[in-house]
Amino acid sequence: MAEILDGLPVAVDAMGGDRAPAEIVIGARQAAQELGIPVLLVGDPAYLRTLAPQPGVEILAASEVIGMDEDPGRAVRVKRDSSLVRCAEAVREGRACAMVSAGNTGAAMASALLRMGRLPGVSRPAIATVIPVPGSTPTILIDSGANVDCTPPMLVLFAQMGWALATERFGIREPRVGILSIGEEATKGNALVKEAHVLLEGGAAGPDVHFIGNVEGRDVMSDRVDVVVTDGFTGNVVLKTLEGGVKAVVGGVLSALTADAEIKEAAKAVLPALTPLANELDPDTYGGAVLLGVEGVCVISHGSSGARAILNAVKVAHHAAADKLVGRIEAVIASGRG
Amino acid sequence: MLELVRGSLADILEVGPGTIAEGASFTDLGADSLALIELVEALERDLGGRFAGFRIDDEDLEDLKTVRDAVDYVVSKIGTSS
Repeated sequence: MAEILDGLPVAVDAMGGDRAPAEIVIGARQAAQELGIPVLLVGDPAYLRTLAPQPGVEILAASEVIGMDEDPGRAVRVKRDSSLVRCAEAVREGRACAMVSAGNTGAAMASALLRMGRLPGVSRPAIATVIPVPGSTPTILIDSGANVDCTPPMLVLFAQMGWALATERFGIREPRVGILSIGEEATKGNALVKEAHVLLEGGAAGPDVHFIGNVEGRDVMSDRVDVVVTDGFTGNVVLKTLEGGVKAVVGGVLSALTADAEIKEAAKAVLPALTPLANELDPDTYGGAVLLGVEGVCVISHGSSGARAILNAVKVAHHAAADKLVGRIEAVIASGRG
Repeated sequence: MLELVRGSLADILEVGPGTIAEGASFTDLGADSLALIELVEALERDLGGRFAGFRIDDEDLEDLKTVRDAVDYVVSKIGTSS
């Protein structure tokens, strides 16, 4: 068992997600046991108190749960004792260093926004998702779904926040930031992209953000760019397309490798070599998406997250807090003003 | 009260208060449902201390379409707060 690290715990919404609370709790407890990261399990006290005590694991009672289909803003207002709201409050009040939830994504955003607050200069927080790039450092896609309709200044803000995350998450000294478009030329794109391009080219994101220009869909899973900036509608379409595409290819390869008994036998020599690639492509490896632009760290895991995803989400959240992700975002936004 | 609503909304939308016209609709200002809830919570925080029991009913939110609507609603609520 790992020694429990000093410092504040990561608040984990034990009740959010399709596999809550059992899988969420297992993942959070594993994070404490294997990584030494202290966790604060937030949720139904009747359930949580049945768990065996464990070093590094505390409990915070919350009597309500926001369902996956509930209106996010209204739910946060009405269910003030929900596990999601209590997680965000724990961060605001300095009882937790970060929060993780696999629950209602909109409600997680609303909880973070309404309880932690927005950072100065942030008109709208955005969701940053890590896109695997086999054999290379992953790409950050921002915004991957929080803001359907955007303005050019919002894309500049996303560039700044994505840049900050790339420096923290992957230790990239000079992340390359590109704006997603339908061609590499600066003249390509819709009005939003063209105007944002002008702003970014003109240094609106600040002196540290290295803008490389337009990138295309095929560049998202390449090592040509580190941060891909787009509006939330397009970003979500890209994300879901990649998820479906990768799943289809992986499924096709597995089918081909198990087509008959002879091929299956031969595949035994090949499959172990594919395991690292499988891990790279598995969303659970990355834990979840990060909500950027609020005054605290908020990791939003996929609704179907199991223990492994939650363990990794806790790891990501803890690292972001320890490496002062929020401070990095504040600094880069301030450098871009005026 | 208009200045309070305008100021709170300006903070949320990251715009200058002077750009928010009294008759402007929240939709035209780019304020989505979440921004409206931020506004509601900000007003409850600011006014709750001065007027005990001040709270904006969630059922009434749908009827608030413009800045003027919000101002009139808040004034009417203050009148009924204890």
